[in-house]
Amino acid sequence: MVKAKIILVVLGAALAVPQVLAGSTPEEDRKAMVEYFMQMFPDVPFEGFVNGQYALNEDRRRQWESMQDFPPYEFAVADGQEMFETPFANGKTYASCFENDGIGIRQNYPYFDTEKNEVITLELAINRCREANGEEPLKWKKGAIASISGYMASTSQGKPINIKVPDDPDALAAYQDGKEFYYSRRGQLNFSCASCHVQNPGKWIRGDFLSPTVGQPANFPVHRSDWGEMGTLHRRFAGCNTNVRAEPLPAQSEGYRNLEYFLTYMSNGLPVVGPATRP
Amino acid sequence: MNRPLLTIGISLALCLPLAAQAGSKEDFNDVYSKAQSTHQDAGTFQWTVTSDRLKAAKSAADNGNFEKAAAMANEALRLAEESVAQRKQQQEAWRNVAIGN
Repeated sequence: MVKAKIILVVLGAALAVPQVLAGSTPEEDRKAMVEYFMQMFPDVPFEGFVNGQYALNEDRRRQWESMQDFPPYEFAVADGQEMFETPFANGKTYASCFENDGIGIRQNYPYFDTEKNEVITLELAINRCREANGEEPLKWKKGAIASISGYMASTSQGKPINIKVPDDPDALAAYQDGKEFYYSRRGQLNFSCASCHVQNPGKWIRGDFLSPTVGQPANFPVHRSDWGEMGTLHRRFAGCNTNVRAEPLPAQSEGYRNLEYFLTYMSNGLPVVGPATRP
Repeated sequence: MNRPLLTIGISLALCLPLAAQAGSKEDFNDVYSKAQSTHQDAGTFQWTVTSDRLKAAKSAADNGNFEKAAAMANEALRLAEESVAQRKQQQEAWRNVAIGN
């Protein structure tokens, strides 16, 4: 009898443990996340989430709409196009490094490279393209890289974000790592990304109006009034971490790339609207 | 007046601040090293305020102000310990708030 009980307990545990470890799939996460925000903001249509705080705050929306007559990122995008089309010293251009010559591909980034076993962001691909062609890499957070990335994003406007997590344990681990980062509280102020953007979107935190998770990466790179220029998503990650007194990770570190992977997957199906403006 | 005794007395008096400073320097080195190592243990959960205190401690020590240096290093150690505790606590706690777990 005792033996039978032990066998039953062991069998039960063996069946239960893998389920607990497996957790939910990325697609289950995304659907639950979208459902959560659709219930939180029933008046906002799904595609409206790409406008972040402008979808939730009428005053901010009016300010933004008035800025759209002369968007402050236009010059940077024009510079980005010129840099994108200017040949490297070896005569090749950025187009040689990307699918479809780099036009209309923003919606597929970041992706998981199953050969290199890492997440490849658009900015990482831009700098690797430069290095493969004998050029110095650009700085990660602003300047030329934001302009080139901004131009490339502009060629994808309206295309639905299409991030894939392949059936590969390393890809799933990268996604899970990004998810864990997003929900983990850090810094002296003990905030996670989710503390603001899942639990409190639509509310003010000091002078900032909080946007929801879904739709956030669709805007990047962004021109922020606070920066007075364009910046990349990893610049924003670092700023958020610093705000809660957590040491930011280096831009394009594995941790931030995994975070971008998770975050962008949550916006699958929403159109690319970057580059955009934010306060 | 006993000149040798006076010389010894003055020498001892002059040595006192040096001895006190040497003690503070040792204290500082111990605490600073422990604070640095604990800060490293925090991994990706390091706090900026800990880094600030460590920099302030190093700067004070470089200027010979070991009392301030030790105080800053002690603060850094306390903050680093809190960040390590946060890291440990979050290893499981994040799952409780994640959507779609």
